Amino acid sequence: MSCHIAAERAAAPPVLRLRARPLKVVLVGNPNVGKSVIFGRLTGRYATVSNYPGTTVGITTGRAMVGAEVCDVIDSPGVNALEGVLSEDEHVTRRLLANREADLVIQVADARNLRRALMLTAQAAAFSLPMVLVLNMVDEARRRGVEVDAARLSSELGIPVVETVAIEGQGLNELKEALPAAAPARIPFVPNGDYSAWAHETASRLRRSRPSSIGRLQEFLGRAVRQPATGLPILAVVLYVIYLFVGVFGAQTLVRLIEHGVFQAYINPAATALADRFIPFAAVRDFLVGPYGLITMGLTYAMAIVLPVVATFFLIFGWLEDSGYIPRLAIFSDRIFRMMGLNGKAVLPMVLGLGCDTMATMTTRILGTPKERLIAVLLLALGIPCSAQLATILGILGGISFAALLTLFGVVVLQIFFVGFLAAQLLPGERSDFIMELPPLRLPGMRNLMHKTLLRIRWYLWEAVPLFLIGTALLFVLDKTGLLRWVVAGGRPVVTGLLGLPAETAQVFVMGFLRRDYGAAGLFQLSHAGQLSATQAVVALTVMTLFVPCVANFLMIIREQGLKAALAILVFVTTVALSTGAGLHYAFRILGVDF
Amino acid sequence: MLSGSSVSTFEHGRRLVSLGVGERGVVVRVLRDNPARAERLKALGVTPGARVRLLQRFPGFVFECDQTELAVEPSVARAILIEELG
Repeated sequence: MSCHIAAERAAAPPVLRLRARPLKVVLVGNPNVGKSVIFGRLTGRYATVSNYPGTTVGITTGRAMVGAEVCDVIDSPGVNALEGVLSEDEHVTRRLLANREADLVIQVADARNLRRALMLTAQAAAFSLPMVLVLNMVDEARRRGVEVDAARLSSELGIPVVETVAIEGQGLNELKEALPAAAPARIPFVPNGDYSAWAHETASRLRRSRPSSIGRLQEFLGRAVRQPATGLPILAVVLYVIYLFVGVFGAQTLVRLIEHGVFQAYINPAATALADRFIPFAAVRDFLVGPYGLITMGLTYAMAIVLPVVATFFLIFGWLEDSGYIPRLAIFSDRIFRMMGLNGKAVLPMVLGLGCDTMATMTTRILGTPKERLIAVLLLALGIPCSAQLATILGILGGISFAALLTLFGVVVLQIFFVGFLAAQLLPGERSDFIMELPPLRLPGMRNLMHKTLLRIRWYLWEAVPLFLIGTALLFVLDKTGLLRWVVAGGRPVVTGLLGLPAETAQVFVMGFLRRDYGAAGLFQLSHAGQLSATQAVVALTVMTLFVPCVANFLMIIREQGLKAALAILVFVTTVALSTGAGLHYAFRILGVDF
Repeated sequence: MLSGSSVSTFEHGRRLVSLGVGERGVVVRVLRDNPARAERLKALGVTPGARVRLLQRFPGFVFECDQTELAVEPSVARAILIEELG
C-alpha cells in the first residue's frame, strides 16, 4: 500500500501538536465504503459492520493513538451528499462538520467509485477542515479493473491520499502517518456549486479502467436473486432455511436441550435445594425459586427459552446482512410498499425489525420523508414480530399445525397492509421516489459474522436479561400483594370475554409490554402446560404480535417521533390488536374452526 | 416558461426507461421536474457523462452506473435522459 502526500503540504505546519483535549477525527464517506471497518482498525472498538447502506445511523466514538497523540475518532453515518436535500442521517454527519465538532476529516471512499467520492470531497472541502482521502477496497477495484492514480490525485487536491484494504488491515499505518499532513482540500471554484462535472472530469482523467472478466459469478448470482422467476423461489428457500435453523434447531432442539437438560435437570433443583437449606424465610425463597422466582422463572425464560432463539437468529441474520442479499428484496417489494405510502427501501427497517424492533425503529432514519418514517415506525410497532417473538410463535404454532401458522401470518400481514394503506391515504406528506443502491454480493467473512453475533448476544444479555429479572420481580410483588389477582380479574372482561382466552393470559400481556419476547415466553409456557387450546394459541399470539411494542421500543419511538405521536401509536396499536383478536375469536367460533 | 406537455415533447431523446436489458448508454442529463429526485440521483453518481447499463426492467428497474448498482422505480428511469451506446 502506498501513501501520497503532496510535497508542498508535507512542509506545512503539522495539524497534530500538543493540545488540551484530544484531536477529533471524523470518518466521512458514501454509504457502505467501510468507514466502520476503518473505525474498528483505528480504535480497536467494534462498530457494527454490514454489507448494506445505512448500518450506522448514529455516531460511534472511540480513542486511537496516532504517534504520541490521542485522537477521538468519530464514525458517522454514510452520506451521498452534504448539501441539498438530505436524509435524517445525512444531517447527522453534516452537523458534525458544520458545528466544528471535528478537527480533521478522513474521507473514506470506495476506490471503484472515484467520481461519487470526489463529489463528496468537494462538498466536504467547503467546511475548510483538514482532510485525508482514503481509497478503500483497492483490491476489489483492481479485480474489477479499476486503477486510480493516487499520487496525482493527492497533488491536485492538496491532501494526502491513502490506499487501503481496511478489512485486512492494509494501509492503516500509512493512514496514521498521513494524518499530520492533512490539509484543507483545494477544489476549483464552481459558480453554481454543482461539482458533478468537475468530479466526472477529474475521475475520468485519474482513473484507468480496463474491462475485467472477474465478477461473472457475482453477476450471475446478482441476476438470480433479483429476477422474479429465480428470485422468488430463492426467497422461499431462504425463509425455509431460516425456519429450520431458528424455528426448529433453535426454538425446539436447543431450547429443549437447555431448558430440560440444564435448567430443569440441574440449575433449578440445585437452586431450590440450596434455598431450602440456607434461606429460612419463605418469602425470600419464593422470590428466588418460587413460581415467579428470579431463577426459576426470570433466568429460565431468559437463558433457556429466548437465548437459543435469538442466538440462532442473530447468526443467520448477520450472514444475510453481510451477503448483500437483504437490499435486493427491495426490488420485489417496491410496488407493494408504494401502496402503503413507502417505497422499496422500507424493506430494510422492516426486515431488521425481525431482529429487533427497537433497532429497526432507529433505522427508519434512512427513509426519505417524515411521512415515510412515521408509517414505518407505526408498522414496526404494529405487526413486525422480533426474533424472539417470531421463534416462540414458530415454537408454539409449529407444534400445532401449519394452517395455524399461516392463519397468524396471514392476519398479521393483511393487517400491516391495511393499516399501511390507510396511513398512506390519511397522513399528510409525500413519499419519496424509490432509488436504492445495491451493495455487491459477497461471501460473508466468518470473523466479522462471529464478532457481530457475539456482540449482539452480549447486548441481549445486558439489555434483556435485567428486564426479564425486573419483570419477574414485579410479577412476584404483584402476586404476593394480591394485585396480580386484581389485574387478572380486571383484564377478565377483555381477555376472557372479548378474546375467549384463559384469565391467566392477562399476566402474559403485562409481561409482553416489558419485553415482547418475555410475554411470548410466558405464552410458550402456558401452551406447554396445556392451558391453551389450538385456536386460543392462535388468538393469543396474534394479539401479542400486533400488541403494543415493548418498553425499549416505546422509548425509541418517543425519541424518534416525539411523545405525542408515540402515545397515539400506542393507543391505535392496542385498539387494532384487541379488535383483531376479538374478530378472530368470533370468526373461529362461528365458522367452527379448529387446528 | 414551457408548460408540462411541451417539455415532454421537447425531451424526445432516449431515456433509461426505453433501454432493453443489457443495453448501454451515457447519461445526457437528468430531468429536474422533481428536484429532490434529481439531487439524489446526482449524489449517487447519475450525472452527465456517466455510463449506464440496464440489467433488469421488471419488477423494478435495475441498472449499473459506473460501478454502482442501482434499483429505481419506473418514474425515475423515465427521468434519466441517455444517449445509446452500441
